[in-house]
Amino acid sequence: MSEFWKPIRRLLREPLGVLGVALVLLVIFCAVFADLLTAYDPTKISPRDRFLPPSADHWLGTDQLGRDLFSRVLYGGRIALYVALVSTAVSLAIGIVLGLIAGYGPRWLDNLMILVFDALKSFPTVMLALALVTLMGPSLTAVMIVVVLVNVPGYARIIRTQTIALKSSEFVTAAQSMGASTARILRVHVLPNVIGPLVILASMDIPVVIAIEAGMSFLGLGVRPPTPSWGSILNDGFASIRDTAWIAIAGGLPIIITTLGFTFLGETLRDVFDPRLKGR
Amino acid sequence: MTVLSIKDLNVSFATEAGDFHALKNVAFDIPEKTIVGIVGESGCGKSTLINSILGLLADNGRIDTGSIEFEGQELTKLDKATMRDLRGPRISAVFQDPMGALNPVLSVGEQMRNVQYRDAAPNSKKDARSVEMLESVRIPDAQHALSRYPHEFSGGMKQRIAIAMALMMRPGLLIADEPTTALDATLEVVMLELLKDLQQQVGCSILFISHHLGVIAELCDEVAVMYAGQVVERGTTAQVFAKPSHDYTRRLLECDPANQRERTRRLPTMSDEPGTFAPQPVPPRPARSEGEVPLLQVRDAKVTFKSGALFNRRTTLGVAGVSFDLYPGETIGLVGESGSGKTTLARATNRLQAISGGSITFEGKEVHELSARAMHHLRRDMSMMFQDPIGSLSPRMKVGDLVAEPFRIHRISNVNLKREVDRLLTVVGLGPEFAGRFPHQLSGGQARRVGVARAIALSPKLIVADEPTAGLDVSVQGGVLNLLNDLREEMGLSMIFITHNLNVVRHVADRIAVMYHGEFVEIGDAEEIFDSPSHDYTKKLLSANLAGPGHRV
Amino acid sequence: MLNYLIRRLALAVVIVSVAMLLLFSMIFLIPGDPAAVALGPRATDEMREALRIRMGLDKPVWLQFWNFYTNAWTGDLGTEVLSNRPVLTVVMEQLPYTLALIAGGIIWSVALGIPLGCWAAVARGSLADRIVGILSVAVIAVPSFVVAIYALLIFAVALQWLPAIGAGEPGNLGDQMVHLILPSLAVGLGWVGYIARMVRASMLEVLEAPHIRTARAFGLPDRLITYRYALSIAILPTITLLGVGIGQMLSSAVFAEIVFARPGIGKLVYDAILVRNFPLVTGAVLVTTVLFVLLNLIADLIVGALDPRVRSSF
Repeated sequence: MSEFWKPIRRLLREPLGVLGVALVLLVIFCAVFADLLTAYDPTKISPRDRFLPPSADHWLGTDQLGRDLFSRVLYGGRIALYVALVSTAVSLAIGIVLGLIAGYGPRWLDNLMILVFDALKSFPTVMLALALVTLMGPSLTAVMIVVVLVNVPGYARIIRTQTIALKSSEFVTAAQSMGASTARILRVHVLPNVIGPLVILASMDIPVVIAIEAGMSFLGLGVRPPTPSWGSILNDGFASIRDTAWIAIAGGLPIIITTLGFTFLGETLRDVFDPRLKGR
Repeated sequence: MTVLSIKDLNVSFATEAGDFHALKNVAFDIPEKTIVGIVGESGCGKSTLINSILGLLADNGRIDTGSIEFEGQELTKLDKATMRDLRGPRISAVFQDPMGALNPVLSVGEQMRNVQYRDAAPNSKKDARSVEMLESVRIPDAQHALSRYPHEFSGGMKQRIAIAMALMMRPGLLIADEPTTALDATLEVVMLELLKDLQQQVGCSILFISHHLGVIAELCDEVAVMYAGQVVERGTTAQVFAKPSHDYTRRLLECDPANQRERTRRLPTMSDEPGTFAPQPVPPRPARSEGEVPLLQVRDAKVTFKSGALFNRRTTLGVAGVSFDLYPGETIGLVGESGSGKTTLARATNRLQAISGGSITFEGKEVHELSARAMHHLRRDMSMMFQDPIGSLSPRMKVGDLVAEPFRIHRISNVNLKREVDRLLTVVGLGPEFAGRFPHQLSGGQARRVGVARAIALSPKLIVADEPTAGLDVSVQGGVLNLLNDLREEMGLSMIFITHNLNVVRHVADRIAVMYHGEFVEIGDAEEIFDSPSHDYTKKLLSANLAGPGHRV
Repeated sequence: MLNYLIRRLALAVVIVSVAMLLLFSMIFLIPGDPAAVALGPRATDEMREALRIRMGLDKPVWLQFWNFYTNAWTGDLGTEVLSNRPVLTVVMEQLPYTLALIAGGIIWSVALGIPLGCWAAVARGSLADRIVGILSVAVIAVPSFVVAIYALLIFAVALQWLPAIGAGEPGNLGDQMVHLILPSLAVGLGWVGYIARMVRASMLEVLEAPHIRTARAFGLPDRLITYRYALSIAILPTITLLGVGIGQMLSSAVFAEIVFARPGIGKLVYDAILVRNFPLVTGAVLVTTVLFVLLNLIADLIVGALDPRVRSSF
């Protein structure tokens, strides 16, 4: 069996891994086929149907504007996954480049970059988001900038630490002694050894990203109405929590399901691919 | 009287690939007040044996059959609590790694007090006893040592403290698992003396595990030889080493380079039929003709290291000005203990480390002043081998790619790469079928051969080999050294051979340089250095060299 | 020791300075006129111009930053527009509420997380270990604001066991404590998981260490080995983690304050955004950043005090 399939088989032997895969597939399926799964327009206001409790017509009930919550949840999944994938990919790309530069570059540059990373990390995420949105106004772009600013320091640091560790390892010194260029050392000897753990850690950060999007939308700093987002549904539910609990429940459940699914999947992936990372 | 008696012991581990039978019908006795050595190479089951005795087998291990009888008690049938009560007062242990032997966050005094936790005595009395023990292992200022923490002691000191703790409760049996392996040779002999003294004082028996035949011969009264989970031979040390009866022991003894009294170019290996090996005398070094140009010329080379933060910068001298010439076809042995600057000097010759003074010239070219381009070109002629056989291979590259790497780096396209890799793998005795393997799928000896293949790939003129036999068992070592020697003769290579192993370097090198605190204290013909060392440090080093059983019996 | 403290404090000052520079460049780089933002759409050009001059926006960039920087270190974070009081005073008034919330979160996470982690490590591989493992992953995964809303829904709205709104009657400590239970649970629940996992992982690592094997070879009792020999080392990375975690708890506190309508920095800033009170937002960001850096420093100092290896390098 190839080196690639073995861990996947082992992943599917773990009950938690299977649960993770199932939940993630469910979320992706719902988001991709949202138009087929529901007949309702998630943004269509119908004043006559306000605050309807869950029923056969409206599986999760309706909100204060009479919009069908089930369809809002499905379309909200699209926003969540879109933000998660795009901003994680961007964070990874920036983090890897900066980490390699810091780890292999001159000492002063490394110190300077670490200083900037530490300073960035010392802003509490929500505070950073609040400050940014005050200036930019709420938008998905603002959400993604926040995610990148929050993720990049961590990713770059991991790559940097590992690059520094590898820099003095014998196989890198061996490559130097053979006359390999810095670019070749980074590409052939360093990158393949540092990227695996990082991708796994990044996949474990996807639930965090989803939480940031939902959280900012909950505070009204993310998507603009009437675009559906799990966070904005939760906010609608919060406004009327004393009378209509189902709106808050409808907003919270998909967040819980998605973050749990991705976390279980990520955890098992990590244990299977790289047991050394356990407990990070 | 017998302290420990092991009969017919079988231990296996449950692994994913099925049961692994680690010990097979192991049997031996430890008489009262004797030191029994167990010798064997890595993976022979030594550690499993001691863990079985201590009742500390890993969760997936189990004792299938057999008995371990200690002072009349059957250990395999004891419950955990009773076994724990035996550990410490009756059986105790010291292990290999002195750095990790003590708890880093507790003071030495507290740890020694904890060892006596069964006593009702007041703390002051326990501390007095700790001081007494520390003094007996010759820790200076023992009273003060109690309030200090492990990181404040050197490796040798930590190992002494660990021994003091182990003997605290005056056990009947001390298990010592390679306790001196991580220490430098000069320190090792001191520790062996100390162990002998303490054994007399305490009146205990010692089970001493080592892979080092010389150490066993020096210390032990009796010896058991282990191979593949079995005790293949046992008897008194003199008897086993003088007249080994088992084939494995005979081969093992013979391929220990320390046992070759004559200097020989080729060393015996495990596959040589015992008794048939004929030493191949080292040809006398041809007189240097007038005007012969050295390949490498090192003049007063210095390397300094900067350490510490912004405000308390320190500079330490790694290499404190050394000079030597290396002629084509010549091998120079660089010996010294850890921290003596051997590796730093090697890196400086290859410009992997900047020099802070002096000069290093290769074929008349100033290595440290060449342009990046010229240096890149020069690297084809000088290659390097590193200490860790597996760690010096890029972990995610296959053997084929690793061997092809020099060709790719230097963009050599006029060869058939695949054929060249196959040829090199065959030359080093592996064969083309290894090309598809990853480094972690290789044994130490195989990985070392890959390193050799890579080092000779571009037919260099100089190979700098940093501890090329480190981490290899005696049985594999001979093969690797013979390979290097054959290649050297065939290709007319010059070599800088760095090692701490005097028994090896004696056969391999034409000349030997002894390094101490970054300086050459002595440099000269290999034979001369061994027969009539002139510097005190060289003498000390040679006397600490436990030259193997052959010299003693 | 003093030397180390000075070095760490100096580093903290540098980090806060860089953070200020980042914050300032963020304000500068993002398109839009802070004066226009502050005044809203109905302001006239003259009003904007007047405010720009008052805010110093007509001066060169480096001078603007220098003023911002030096003023901030002297505690002058600008003036709150509505009440015309110094921003620092307004923020500091709210700080104790947020600190209480974070302290509550730390208490939850430490009181539950350390014993659970220890227990799981000792009973490695057992059913209890599996359950603790899955639960800690689960509570880490679920975002704190979802916990807050569901806790509000269940315990305050449906069951009506605990109060839903506010920080409690001033002066009545008991009432304030009761009001703290749910919000601090929302802040600390995820951290129960983080800490349990961290303690478990580092316990397992330490229990594998050679010195533990040595201690066992000397026949020391399991309890002594687990709590004195292993936990005293395993706790160190947990404290460091907790120090870093303060930042996340600050974020969670913002949500908890909004959901439970508690006073605090989060509520203050959230309300400030609605009226585009920009100086208040930057002021609060700076105060929380300094708070985070300080608490992190304290965590490092605690680790240093507990670990002789670090202590002697002070």
